[in-house]
Amino acid sequence: MNSLVLNISELKLNSPLILASGILGVSYSTMKRLVDVGLGAITTKSIGPKPRKGYKNPSIVEVYPGTFLNSVGLGNPGIDNFMTEIKEIKKFKFPLIVSVFGDSIESYIKVALKAEQAGANAIEINISCPHAEVSSIGIDKNLTFSIVKSMKEELKVPVFVKLNPNVTNLGEIALAAQKGGADAVVAINTLAAMKVDINTKRPILSHGSGGLSGEAIHPIAVKKVYDLYKILEIPIIGCGGASNWQDVIEFILVGASAVQIGTILHQGLDAITDIINGLKKFLKDSEYSSISELKGLAHEFKTQEVPDFD
Amino acid sequence: MTKNIIETVKIKTIIDECDGVKTFLFERNGTVVPKPGQFVMIWVPGVDEIPMSISSYNENGEWAITVKNVGDCTNSIHDLKVGDYIGVRGPLGNFFKIPQDTNKNIFLIGGGIGMVPLRFLASELIKMGNKFKFIEGAKVKDEILFANEFLEYQQEDLEFHFCTDDGSYGKKGFTTDLFEHIIESLSVEELKDSVVFTCGPEIMMHKILQICIEKKVEMYASLERIMRCGCGLCGLCVLDPLGLLVCNDGPVFNSHMLTEMEDFSKFERDFSGKKNSL
Repeated sequence: MNSLVLNISELKLNSPLILASGILGVSYSTMKRLVDVGLGAITTKSIGPKPRKGYKNPSIVEVYPGTFLNSVGLGNPGIDNFMTEIKEIKKFKFPLIVSVFGDSIESYIKVALKAEQAGANAIEINISCPHAEVSSIGIDKNLTFSIVKSMKEELKVPVFVKLNPNVTNLGEIALAAQKGGADAVVAINTLAAMKVDINTKRPILSHGSGGLSGEAIHPIAVKKVYDLYKILEIPIIGCGGASNWQDVIEFILVGASAVQIGTILHQGLDAITDIINGLKKFLKDSEYSSISELKGLAHEFKTQEVPDFD
Repeated sequence: MTKNIIETVKIKTIIDECDGVKTFLFERNGTVVPKPGQFVMIWVPGVDEIPMSISSYNENGEWAITVKNVGDCTNSIHDLKVGDYIGVRGPLGNFFKIPQDTNKNIFLIGGGIGMVPLRFLASELIKMGNKFKFIEGAKVKDEILFANEFLEYQQEDLEFHFCTDDGSYGKKGFTTDLFEHIIESLSVEELKDSVVFTCGPEIMMHKILQICIEKKVEMYASLERIMRCGCGLCGLCVLDPLGLLVCNDGPVFNSHMLTEMEDFSKFERDFSGKKNSL
């Protein structure tokens, strides 16, 4: 039996690894390759109502080893062009999550309906890209509730909500998504960040600032998932800097049902093979028959609430 | 692995190569050594960041890129002066694998600005003691690159053949014609013992692929596509239907991969990810 098989909402995944939105989710052929080496599902690049080139380069750079800063600015071919890509992907029978965005609730719905019609198995709502205008929804619990509720009313497939970590109270936004009927939340999107070159004195990204992903944000994402697991009833998909099998296990222990990966792919597709092999070996060696048995185990330990005095 | 961190360096030397083409030399910190065929992402502060083949490298840590003025960003590069800063990331991607066997019949076939990675390869081959035959093509005489440098090599077992579309330098015609002519006299064994490294317009490389398949000659081509990251994240440089990425799986691909690539010489994606005809 495959110890890595699991379900998220209606989706059956052959492994807990899902491609994170914004990484490589452009062509059917790359997505197929990623599933062939072990991903359980694919989230596409965020797709909007019309073609959009995004920000100029530099738009993706490394800032520390394994940690990247990006401001792609939601570059995407537009849903009408992308429908042909979705149809191509559907020939391969793996779970496809289409990430969508729009400039109004109506346009979000329009894009999502087209994606569903073309064969998307789930919709991920991008309300959180920190370097584009849609982030304004993800910082407001009422807007988050409204958009999720409206989309749930129109769509048959499950709806996931990708959360913006650049807020004071992530819990209340996540609860608003749950109240709106979200089938899962994805935590977290990239963290607002910036890099300035000291020789030219210029911000490096063409947009000035962007979102931080990769190794440096993993402990932050772990903390966010840990906190959300305490208050949410819907599944959490962990996302943020998972770079090896240990990071994936860590996400599951704090309460993630599945884990998205992205930035680690700068090391190539072998990184996925290594994670899958590591997970299988760990589960076998520690005699778990399914990775889901590990879900939330870190919460069983009492943590110290008040510091010791004298 | 920190090869994707932008390092800003000062331009040390600028060389006018030919009409609309300049070489820029700069020194980098660190000990990373690039290989022929690899590329760097070059950031022109305030303008853009684009992939560029590495044109040369020496033991003093001096790198060079050779840039043809074809668009906004390359135009800005041409405006740069000695002492100006550019940002560099890399070396990125795979490289031309130099045959261990120094007796192989090596062909380098370059068209136009595609000469750049082959120039770096040629200098490495000479260093390793490999002989080779170089075929260079350009539209007109003024666009022939590195000819003086090549002719200075003056070593036995090196051959340089030039051609131009209008016959203003070397033979009149295309590199593919010259290549076909040269290998005509080779025996089956000699063909089997030959390898082709090529870079240039994809229509040219596609024709070379057809010749190499027919003659059963091993072949490697360096491809170019639009990219944001240069390191396997943005996915814009994908080649359907294999899903190979020019940045991480390439830019150098062998003839087996090229044969199965429907996009080769036909399609590329733009910054939105939309597929367009080349």
